[in-house]
Amino acid sequence: MTGQEGLAVFTILIFAGATAYFIARMLPILRVLRKARATDRLDNWPSRLGFMLGQVFGHKRLLQKRLSGILHFFIFSGFVILFIDIVASIGQVFVPGLKLDAALAFIVDLWVALVLVGIILAVYQRAIIRPERYHGSDEKDGYVILGMIGVIMVGIMLHESFYPFAAHYWYHLQVRLDPWEFLGYTLGHLWLQTGMASTPVIAEAGYITGYVLDIGMVFAFLAYLPTSKHLHIFLAVPSIFLHKTRPAGELVPPLTEDAGMAIRTFQDMNWKDVLDVFTCTECGRCQAVCPAHAAGQPLSPKMVILELRDALRQELAGAEPRALAGDVVSAEELWACTTCGACQEACPVFIEHVPKIAGLRAALLEDGEIDKNSQKVLVAWDRQGNSFGQPLRRRPNWTKGLDVAIKDARKEPVDWLWFVGDFASYDPRLQELSRLVARLLQRAGLDFGILYEGESNAGNEALRLGEYGLFESLAQKNLKWLNEAQYRQIFTTDPHSLNALRNEYRKLGFDKPVKHYTQVFVDLIDQGRLSPAPLGVRVTYHDPCYLGRWNRIFDAPRQLLEKMGVELVEMPRHGPNSFCCGAGGGRIWMEEDGIKERPADNRIKEAASLEDVGYFVVACPKDMSMFSAAVQSTGNDGRMKVVDVAELLAQAVGLTVPDAELAIK
Amino acid sequence: MRIAVLLKSVPDLIEDIPIDEESGEILYDEMSYIPSEWDDQALEEALLIKEESGAEVTAITVDTGESDTMLFTALAKGADHGVKLVGDFDPSLPNRQRAHIFSQYLGPQSFDLVLSGVQAIDDIDGQIPGLVAGILGWPHASVVTEVRAHDNRVIFRQEYAGGLVAEIKVSTPAVIGVQAARKPPRYASIAKVRQIAKSSQLEEVEMSIQEVPSLEILRFYKPIASGHAEMIDGDVDEAVDRIIEILQEHNLMRG
Repeated sequence: MTGQEGLAVFTILIFAGATAYFIARMLPILRVLRKARATDRLDNWPSRLGFMLGQVFGHKRLLQKRLSGILHFFIFSGFVILFIDIVASIGQVFVPGLKLDAALAFIVDLWVALVLVGIILAVYQRAIIRPERYHGSDEKDGYVILGMIGVIMVGIMLHESFYPFAAHYWYHLQVRLDPWEFLGYTLGHLWLQTGMASTPVIAEAGYITGYVLDIGMVFAFLAYLPTSKHLHIFLAVPSIFLHKTRPAGELVPPLTEDAGMAIRTFQDMNWKDVLDVFTCTECGRCQAVCPAHAAGQPLSPKMVILELRDALRQELAGAEPRALAGDVVSAEELWACTTCGACQEACPVFIEHVPKIAGLRAALLEDGEIDKNSQKVLVAWDRQGNSFGQPLRRRPNWTKGLDVAIKDARKEPVDWLWFVGDFASYDPRLQELSRLVARLLQRAGLDFGILYEGESNAGNEALRLGEYGLFESLAQKNLKWLNEAQYRQIFTTDPHSLNALRNEYRKLGFDKPVKHYTQVFVDLIDQGRLSPAPLGVRVTYHDPCYLGRWNRIFDAPRQLLEKMGVELVEMPRHGPNSFCCGAGGGRIWMEEDGIKERPADNRIKEAASLEDVGYFVVACPKDMSMFSAAVQSTGNDGRMKVVDVAELLAQAVGLTVPDAELAIK
Repeated sequence: MRIAVLLKSVPDLIEDIPIDEESGEILYDEMSYIPSEWDDQALEEALLIKEESGAEVTAITVDTGESDTMLFTALAKGADHGVKLVGDFDPSLPNRQRAHIFSQYLGPQSFDLVLSGVQAIDDIDGQIPGLVAGILGWPHASVVTEVRAHDNRVIFRQEYAGGLVAEIKVSTPAVIGVQAARKPPRYASIAKVRQIAKSSQLEEVEMSIQEVPSLEILRFYKPIASGHAEMIDGDVDEAVDRIIEILQEHNLMRG
């Protein structure tokens, strides 16, 4: 056997071996995917494809962290570009004399250099910067992978630079150093100067070593992937293609008769959920933005995914399956989630953390395990239809004290139906605000009504606590009147209700347009029905999770502020990157055990760091409660005031604001 | 060990109790009903005993309307059987009669332990556990916590005045009025209750009303307040001013 034949046999063997091993490790994963629940992720594929290309080649999410994004782009693009090298290097063995043209040769070398820069930056990031988001990730795995990629780069440079000298003996070819292969060219000259090039043994050894380090490591890498976070090089792109295209705010898809919401085993997940756990890159971007994690609670969205992944790997290795809810992922982790969705917004490979957490919560709940305060709230929703445990008949009590009574949409047709929500109806401090909204709408001459006792809690939080049955029964109570009353469209003052009505009621057949009151106010101003005079104050605005992130309503509140002559100073975390107040997902009712810094306090400190901003504007009743308390607990009472956007508008259109304290000076 | 848990529903006090002003009678039909919270504690304690040392738990109620959900909820939480004692009963059924109905059913059955809530918000003529024990002639203890079953002996605790706690043993069968379970009662999710309601059957047993010595309620009424508290509104400064004013009015200020 000649040397060339030997190399060919080596290549075939390692290719076959690595591929077979890879497939053998991937098949069990595939089998789990096939046993998992269905989810349609192949609909509307042209738009999925376009979206995927933007994320993959534009690195849209990855570049939100500049250094990571750039270094990842170097390494990632290397994987794509250097495929040319793999083809060429193997090709040379089987088709002696095969040669890349100058442009391709240059590109290969350029990318080898870029990948090396990427590796150096990656090591710098891991070893020197050490971001907290890596805490809990398998750092060794990270270094092993960087090392393997580094070895491949060294291999490419070695065999490329020795090839012209070895080719003479090995393939009986005359090959010259090509200046377009600038790395090979430079190193080749080094070999010439040191005399290594002219020693046949060294030249051949250099070429073979380079080839083995390059091609050998490429296949070793393939074999290493199935047990590494680096599996994402195969799964990330499909995962982005398969991203959720149903409304973002829809937590639970329509359920079939026999499939509940609870996730007890991997078969209770849909196949994309299972794919997610293997797609995770352990980058920790979710962990870095998680309000529960920032508050010092035991939750990290990344660790939830990794715990599930490791449990599944153990199951595949033959271990007895463990309970996913409460054991693999602890109850403390699960109940700490605010369902704010920041993790999903940050995830570069579009993992859906929140539905998994909610499904696991549902399993805990089925076993009767839930925080006792939340349990009281669930019972109150079931019995009275509101979280306050107040009689249903007192729901419209807030309307007392209005000069003009609000229409009862159950009894007469209205243009707009206002879905008020629990907090705005029952919380004494927020009732005043509800009356103010009513007066503004009356001032604008809007034809609107409410459902009075016909309204119950929308069920958004019940669902997020994992109580699908309760969500359904609350929804049915509301739908009785939502379907019977005559109105053109709905608006809500509460983003949580908005989310349920817009996204969760669809599966129950409800499809009326649902808007937020800020959108209604913007329209009323545009139509000239409200004419705000400029207020001339500097404010910052907090995007509620269920308005912004989950329903993408970012502009209306900002337009409204602009129309009122308010100067908006954005907090560093705004828009889709807004930071949760800590109230969502039922957290508002739970014990604050183990919280080092409340998310709302963290947020108010962020706002307080802005210069000359005296007002913290909110557009969600729960935010009003959370942040008013946070302003006090962080000692910012004198400096910052929490106001609802409606209070500013009332001031701007010259309505008397009942509580003198609300007045803006 | 076979444990019977006696359940009843009581008016939900979140709503005002409707009274017919003229007759002074409670309008039972106009109220909504919820499981008595002490009965919930008794059920939880029974389920804890079941988990701890094994037992068969039967939830039993006298059907005064809407008792199905209560029994299905008990099954969803982990009870093994649900028994509905049916007859011409309504929510105004006196406890003494209720106790006779329970006893009539329990007598021929071979339960080892009967648990029920120590009281309910509408006990007018006595508490169920004591009445049942008296009728059956079984041992009884009330205001009990930490019930544990060992073979055919039941051990529990009772608090006494002067900071004493008694550990008490009773041989079965016995009736115990539970004050509080060791853990807060568990939650039964709506979906699970619905699923149980679809998949399991309640046992219905026809019972008759027995004449018992009874009380006559002349009227229910809301007492007229003889005095009332003043709620101080306003911000801190205003509240402080008002408190000082009140203290001065009552000559309670010095200096």
